[in-house]
Amino acid sequence: MAYFTGILPFLLEGAKMTLFLWIMTLALSLPLGFLVSLLVRGRFRPLTWLMEIYIYIMRGTPLMLQLMFVYYGLPFIPVVGPWLRFNRLTAAIFAFALNYAAYFAEIFRGGFLAVPKGQYEACQVLSLSRPQTLTRVVIPQMIRVALPGITNETITLVKDTSLAYVIALAELMHGAKATVSRDSNPAAYVLAGLIYLVIVFAVTLVFKKLEARYRLREK
Amino acid sequence: MAVIEVKHLRKAYGEQEVLRDISFQVTAGEVIAVIGSSGSGKSTLLRCLIDLEQADGGSITAGGVVLMEDGHYRSKKEVRRATEKMGMVFQQFNLFPNLNVRDNLKLAPRLVKKERADALEERCARLLRKVGLAHKDTAYPALLSGGEQQRVAIARALMMEPELLLFDEPTSSLDPELTGEVLEVIRQLAAERMTMIVVTHEMGFAREAASRVIFMDQGRVAEEGSPAEVLDAPKQERTRLFLRSTLK
Ligand SMILES: Nc1ncnc2c1ncn2[C@@H]1O[C@H](COP(=O)(O)OP(=O)(O)O)[C@@H](O)[C@H]1O
Ligand SMILES: [Mg+2]
Repeated sequence: MAYFTGILPFLLEGAKMTLFLWIMTLALSLPLGFLVSLLVRGRFRPLTWLMEIYIYIMRGTPLMLQLMFVYYGLPFIPVVGPWLRFNRLTAAIFAFALNYAAYFAEIFRGGFLAVPKGQYEACQVLSLSRPQTLTRVVIPQMIRVALPGITNETITLVKDTSLAYVIALAELMHGAKATVSRDSNPAAYVLAGLIYLVIVFAVTLVFKKLEARYRLREK
Repeated sequence: MAVIEVKHLRKAYGEQEVLRDISFQVTAGEVIAVIGSSGSGKSTLLRCLIDLEQADGGSITAGGVVLMEDGHYRSKKEVRRATEKMGMVFQQFNLFPNLNVRDNLKLAPRLVKKERADALEERCARLLRKVGLAHKDTAYPALLSGGEQQRVAIARALMMEPELLLFDEPTSSLDPELTGEVLEVIRQLAAERMTMIVVTHEMGFAREAASRVIFMDQGRVAEEGSPAEVLDAPKQERTRLFLRSTLK
């Protein structure tokens, strides 16, 4: 027990980094994913294709590889390389945000597809403009459909942040691993696991509230 | 003056001609019932009038504003000015599920007409009373019966104060016991001299409420006249066949 309380402050430092990475990734990838889903739906074909290629690459390659590529690989690109030398945290946020934006874009796209054609037609015969149709009618309905998928991804992201240990970012997993090898005692893994569970529990609670609110507004 | 004037309207989906040379006029206060078998082009006709579908040829003028002439559409702005004079009620209601009844009614006039809030509120309350749903003003559409939803949809269309109201089979997705309450609202509008084009399979309603009946067959106006003329003494063999098939 004394050993647990001894290593706790160090692991909590890591947990702080984990949470920061989690929040920054969400703050960037949700708007970015939304934008991508709009571009995919848009009428400008080349942009649609470009976004689909982007989504395919992000979903078709391992996140760990993307992380290592952003941190170790980008600086080797000719000409622009020197400008793409990020510190560990920036690289991690960058890679996670790009990756999650692709997944969120897919979820938003599914939400858009769930809005019936009749809703757009009702807006048109009521003389609403396209932006008004989107913001007042389509997006609120799209969000409701997308929310469960968003919840799942945000929870997965809590755990995925641990991948950042491959670029030696001082987050929770990194702290646990360092503690275990220093003390030859696996207790730090157990403690780290518990901390992840607490975070996931809190996140789940928040999103369930959000989902319930969206459902209630329609009953 | 004609509220809407349609001349030589044509529309095809690929090879299939859905509207072939449709011409008619509606003057203020008229109620037109459009009847005809499924696939005869009734929905396509209404949808072309309000620019939900693009026609291939002909002319449409609404309230003096030209929407299209000899197959050429006017500018987006002109088309919008023409369609703004019309409202439409759909078979599937198409209420906004994310908004309660009152907000369904007020959304478009608030955003499009930019009217004062108290004027909107007053009209909203009056129209909900008219369709008998004043007590449901804060309910969400999901909790309403089909008949109630369609009555809200009618009130929502009326909020824009259209000169012409189009109905595409307003009772076809309702249980039989709910069609009466919706038809009653449309009858009341007819009594108030609201100009309407109603696509319907309800022959009783067409007989009582319509001032004129248009029978469509394979994309053409096959017969047109007063309800007594078309429904009781049809001149065309096709009309007779159709009417016989609707008698159950
Ligand atoms: N979007 C469409 N694409 C292809 N064909 C269509 C489309 N909409 C309607 N049609 C065809 O046009 C014809 C007329 O349809 P419609 O106007 O809906 O008839 P009604 O309302 O009288 O039943 C039908 O044969 C239908 O299959
Ligand atoms: Mg139809």
